[in-house]
Amino acid sequence: MTGIMRLGGRLRRAVALSVAVGLGTTLAFADQTQIFDPKTHKWVNYDRKKARQYYAAHGQVPDAFRRQVVDFRTAEKPGTIIIDGNQHFLYLVLPGLKAVRYGIGVGRDGFGWAGIVRVGRMAEWPTWTPPAEMVARDPNAVKFAGGMPGGPDNPLGARALYLYQGDQDTIYRIHGTPEPWTIGLDVSSGCIRMNNDDIVDLYSQVQVGAKVVVLMQGAALYKGV
Amino acid sequence: MKPLLRGVCVTAAVLGGAFQVSAADLVVAMPNWPSGQASANIIKAALEKSLEVKVDVQEMGTMIAFTGLDTGTVDVYPEVWQPNFDQLIQKFSTERGTVHLSSRNVAATQGLCVTQKTYDDFGIHDVADLKDPAKAKVFDTDGDGKGEMWIGARGWLSTDVERIRAKSYGYADTMTLLEMPEEVAMSAVDAAAATDKPIIFYCYSPHHVFELHQVKQLSEPPFDAAKWNIVLQADDPMWLSKSDAPVAWKPSSFSVAYATSLSKRLPQVAKLLDNIDFTADEVTAMSYAIEVERQDPAKYAEQWVASHEDRVKAWLQ
Repeated sequence: MTGIMRLGGRLRRAVALSVAVGLGTTLAFADQTQIFDPKTHKWVNYDRKKARQYYAAHGQVPDAFRRQVVDFRTAEKPGTIIIDGNQHFLYLVLPGLKAVRYGIGVGRDGFGWAGIVRVGRMAEWPTWTPPAEMVARDPNAVKFAGGMPGGPDNPLGARALYLYQGDQDTIYRIHGTPEPWTIGLDVSSGCIRMNNDDIVDLYSQVQVGAKVVVLMQGAALYKGV
Repeated sequence: MKPLLRGVCVTAAVLGGAFQVSAADLVVAMPNWPSGQASANIIKAALEKSLEVKVDVQEMGTMIAFTGLDTGTVDVYPEVWQPNFDQLIQKFSTERGTVHLSSRNVAATQGLCVTQKTYDDFGIHDVADLKDPAKAKVFDTDGDGKGEMWIGARGWLSTDVERIRAKSYGYADTMTLLEMPEEVAMSAVDAAAATDKPIIFYCYSPHHVFELHQVKQLSEPPFDAAKWNIVLQADDPMWLSKSDAPVAWKPSSFSVAYATSLSKRLPQVAKLLDNIDFTADEVTAMSYAIEVERQDPAKYAEQWVASHEDRVKAWLQ
């Protein structure tokens, strides 16, 4: 049995993982994702520090969060995106009861929402405009108050899918990140982040209008549905 | 089938467009759940092929369909769920006599389901297990110590009943009760099944989820009319506190309904409708074909009728 789990205030188990991590055995962090180490048969914490260490050592995130085609029996039609923030997975439904599964990073406080939306707009190397409250509290954000041009350091990464409910922008996005080691963690400010290779892959396979289902479990519940 | 007493809000929303002028001989009202879409179209295909009547299929909810059956703008409704719509049946069939219900029905179930993995690995077998905080915690996804479970969509009358049952059994204290569109709930089941994660949810059958995943319905005390005291939200703001139902749903079923006047106007049509005898397995297969295989309901129905010629002939006897 392998999986991801959260400890400390939250106890969450996700996924069947097979993570050949070699993360060491000292557990000094609580309230973070855990991954199962098949070598030691122990759960090991997967927090910011461990994630950085893993990424530095391997140049990529653990197996579970890497892009892969998985069996996925669903009534949703191919092209639909299903987001499971609790397990840090985004599924793109394929024909034949399969899906592409991507690892994602989600918000520190969850999404605060769940339900059915659609991809209303898509952009390559999108401009990022910090929210007014961030500009007010973070001097580093002031220079980008009018918008930060797209590029490798832009927080939205290589691509962005803008999520709409009807014709209204929900303000939530699925986007890339210049910090790929954060995949699998709860670190963003509410959007869904993927590493740049993955968001480029996803972007190439979906079109404006694609259905997006955000599950009500886990991350979507932190602020209540 | 989304049986469940799809609510006033939903039905009210379609009221404006429900009754369309039709040049057809008959109007079959079509529910918006998969098996209802299939069976409405099978009825159309069977009638047009066997009796050469022109049939129009129009989508509408059960409550609107009953009004149409009563006033003559609708002739047939393929899936009337009981006990969910007992009040409508009482009003239009028993009291007014304008709606006839076929004596044949398809057995159905409602209750709480888990995946086989949840059943086997986490020891969740009976509804009473949910009162155990340790077992309920298995379903915790947001870290508050309580489990989460889907109890139905907003607007379904069955969702009110499930909330009453949660209070009555006592698991309203250990579980967070979620109301969401069925597609969100079913996607959560898909994701849980794909990763062997435990999940519990309100379920009804026939439904394609039983074909898509290995699902087990939890055991619970049998229905007892003396213990089934339901006041609906639409009827009383104190509905929850006034209600109590610590038992299983009454055994459910659904059957074809048609306007009583059809018996005189088109007796052959009425005979065919009375003889429709879908099995639960057939209805599940219909649901799977429409919802999972994404077959067009009209084309699926034409193929079904073509491959069940003897069956349709028997309906005419």
